[in-house]
Amino acid sequence: MSKKLKVYVGMSGGVDSSLVTALLVEQGYDVTGVYMKNWTADLPGVKCPWAEDLADAKRVAVQLGIDFKVFDFEKQYKHVVVDYMIDEYKKGRTPNPDVMCNQEVKFKLFLDAAMEDGADMIATGHYAKVVDSSWYMVNSKKEADTHNLQPTTYHLQCAVDENKDQTYFLYRITAQALSKTLFPIGEFTKPQVRKMAEKRGLTTAVKKDSQGICFVGQVGIRDFLSLYVDPKPGEIIDKQSGKVLGRHDGAIFYTFGQRHGLDLGGGMPYYVVGKDMDKNEIYVTTDLNDDNLWEKTINLTDLHWINLAPKDGKYKIRVRHRAPLVEAVLSPGDDNTLKLDLNQPERAIAPGQSVVIYDGDICLGGGIIT
Amino acid sequence: MNYETIYLDHAAATPMDARVLSAMQPYFSEKFYNPSSPYLPAVITRREYDDAKHKIAVLIGAKPAEIIITAGATESINLAFNGVDGHVVVPNIEHHSVLANAMNHKNTIVQSDKRGLISAESIKLAIRPDTRLVSVALANNELGTIQPIRDIAEVVKVERESRLIKGDKTPIYFHCDASQGATQLDVNVARLGVDMLTLNAGKIYGPKQVGLLWLASHVKLKAQIVGGGQENGLRSGTENVAGTIGFARALELVSEHRKYESERLMKLRDSLQKTLFTAFPDVTISGHKKHRLTSHLHMSFPKLDGERLIFLLEKRGVLVATGSACAANNGTRSHVLSAIGLKPELADASIRISLGHLSTTEHIEIAGKIMVEEIKNEYQRVKLCQK
Repeated sequence: MSKKLKVYVGMSGGVDSSLVTALLVEQGYDVTGVYMKNWTADLPGVKCPWAEDLADAKRVAVQLGIDFKVFDFEKQYKHVVVDYMIDEYKKGRTPNPDVMCNQEVKFKLFLDAAMEDGADMIATGHYAKVVDSSWYMVNSKKEADTHNLQPTTYHLQCAVDENKDQTYFLYRITAQALSKTLFPIGEFTKPQVRKMAEKRGLTTAVKKDSQGICFVGQVGIRDFLSLYVDPKPGEIIDKQSGKVLGRHDGAIFYTFGQRHGLDLGGGMPYYVVGKDMDKNEIYVTTDLNDDNLWEKTINLTDLHWINLAPKDGKYKIRVRHRAPLVEAVLSPGDDNTLKLDLNQPERAIAPGQSVVIYDGDICLGGGIIT
Repeated sequence: MNYETIYLDHAAATPMDARVLSAMQPYFSEKFYNPSSPYLPAVITRREYDDAKHKIAVLIGAKPAEIIITAGATESINLAFNGVDGHVVVPNIEHHSVLANAMNHKNTIVQSDKRGLISAESIKLAIRPDTRLVSVALANNELGTIQPIRDIAEVVKVERESRLIKGDKTPIYFHCDASQGATQLDVNVARLGVDMLTLNAGKIYGPKQVGLLWLASHVKLKAQIVGGGQENGLRSGTENVAGTIGFARALELVSEHRKYESERLMKLRDSLQKTLFTAFPDVTISGHKKHRLTSHLHMSFPKLDGERLIFLLEKRGVLVATGSACAANNGTRSHVLSAIGLKPELADASIRISLGHLSTTEHIEIAGKIMVEEIKNEYQRVKLCQK
C-alpha cells in the first residue's frame, strides 16, 4: 500500500472540527491536529476562552491517538484581521473579519505552514464542500458549457446543511487552496454532526457553539472597538426632518441598517440610514420603506473569483451569511467593479460587507460593497 | 468503557467528608438565622457559630477572637497583604495569590533552591529596615516541599527585636499560607511561631470558599471589606455559619487522623513512585526528598507532554494534574518549575500526583498499572512520530 496521505486538521476545540478529525482518522489518513493560536484580547471582565478551546482540541486529539501541534499566528492575525477590521471601521465601513480570517489565516498561513511541516492536505470543520470540475460538468451542464471550465480545477460548493453553510465566509479562497483542502462535514447537517460526535464519544460533542467575536469571546463588536477608538460624541439626525434627535458616542460604532442601540427612547424604532464620518453624524429614520434602507443596485469592488470570472448575466447572490440566495444580473461596472441588479431590493446593504455570487450551488466568488 | 474514577489531585480540591456535610446541613435550613439577630433561635445559632470558631481556635492553638473567617485562602492572603503598607518578602515559588499580592507592594522575591526549599538564611538576607511582611507557604502546592517555617519565624522575631532595641517601631509580621499540608502537618500557631496563618477548608475535606486568617494579638491590619463590622471589623458580611461549622468539623477530623493519614499516604506514594521509577528510570522527581508532603509526587517524563498524559490518563479514569497548564508558545509555564530551575522541556513533561482520603491501596495499585501502560504507549507513539 502506498504511503498514507498526511492531513493537518485545523482543530478549534469545537464539535465540528473534532468530528472532522475523527472522520479522517477513520478514513485511514495520517492525521495531525493543529490548533491555530490567533491573536486574542482579554477585555475587562470577559475572558477569551482560547486556553479552554486549545485544551478541548488537544483532548480530542489525544482521545483519537494522533499528534497535536500549536501553530502560532498571533502576530499575523493581529495584523491581517484585527488591524484591518479596526481600520475599516474607522473608514466608516462594516468589515467582515471572518472572511479575512479565512482568506489570510486559515487558507493561507495555516495551509502554507502545514505544507511546510510535511502535510499533503489540510482539513477544517467548515460547512462547505469541495468539488472538482468533472462533478461540475456532469451536474451543472449548462453553466459548465458557458464557462469553458478547465477540467481539473476545484470549486467551492454549498454545504448540505443550508442553515450552516459557510461558503459566504469562504468566497475569497483560491482554487489552489481548495485543491489541498478537505471539508468533510459539508456532507452533513449540524444535528447529524452532533449525533456522530456523540456516537464516537468525542468530549466536545455537547459543547456549545462559540458566539461573539472569535478573538475576544462573548462581547459585542462595539465593546471591542471602544478599546481602540475613543468615544467622540456626535449628533443623531432624523433624515426626513433634519432634526437632531439625540447624541451618539461615535459614528464608527454604528452600522448601516442597524436598529438597536440608538437610545432614542420609546416609540417607533429608528434605523441607521447613513453616516458622515467626517462630521461624525449619523442619519436615522423610522420609515422602514426609506429609499436609503433598500438597494436594488449594488456595486462591488475588490472582486475575487475562485476560478474564472463569471460572464455577465443572471446569477444567485447572497448579501450576508445565512441570507437566502436571491437573483441578480451581473454587469461590469467602472474600474474593475461589478454591478449587480437585483430583482427585489435588499435591506441594509452596508459598505465593507461582502456579496457572494453563486452559480447554482457553486460559490464563484464575490466582492465588497462600495 | 466506564472506568472507576481514581482521583489523584487532592492538592487541587478535596471531596467533602460526609460528616462535615451532615454537620453543616441544619444551618442551611432550620438554623438559617442571622447570628446577629436578637431572638433566641438566632442567639443559639450565634453561640454555635462561636463554638465552631472556638473549636478551630483550640485546634490551631489560638484564641477565637484572633480568627477571621473568610471566603477562602485567597481572600485571607489578600487581607494579610492589603492590610499592611510597605515592603514585603516572598519566595518565588509561592502560590499566585501570594505573588500577585506581593506585586502590589515594594517587594523582594526570594529564590528557592532546586528542591523547592526556602532557607531561613535567604529570608534573612531579603529583609530590609522597611519590611512589613514576610509570607511563606507551609508547603509548596506543586512539589509538596515543606518549608522550615519555625526557622523563618525565628529570623522575623530576631528582626522585630532588633528594631525594638533600636527604638524602631516599624512592625514586621510573618504570614504563613498553610492551605497545603494542613491535613498532615501541625498547624499550631505557637509552635510554628508565625504572626498570621491562612487555612483553607476546601483543602481539608471541608467546604470550598471558606477559609480563615489567624492574627496574633499584636497584628494590626486595615479592613478590606467594611460594613456591619463582623469578624472584629476586619471582614464584614453576615457570618457564613454553615461554612464555619463545616470548617471546624473538617479541621477536627483531619487533626485526629493527621499522623495516621500521613504515614498511610507515604506508603502509598512511595510505592507508586517506585512503580513508575522502575518502569521509567529516566523520570525526574522534583521536590525535597525528605521534607515533602507524603501526599505529593511530582514527576517529569522526558520527551513527553504532561498535558497529553493527563488526557490519556483521564480516559482511563485516573485524574492527575500538571503544573504546566498551557501548551501554547506564550502560555504560562509553571512558575514554580522555572523557579526551581527545571528545564522548560522537562517542565512541559510534568505531572503532579497528590494523594488523599480517596486513595486506597487498591486504587494506587491500579493507578500505577494504568500509568505505566499509558506512558509506555505514549513513548512508543512519540518514537514513531519522530521517525
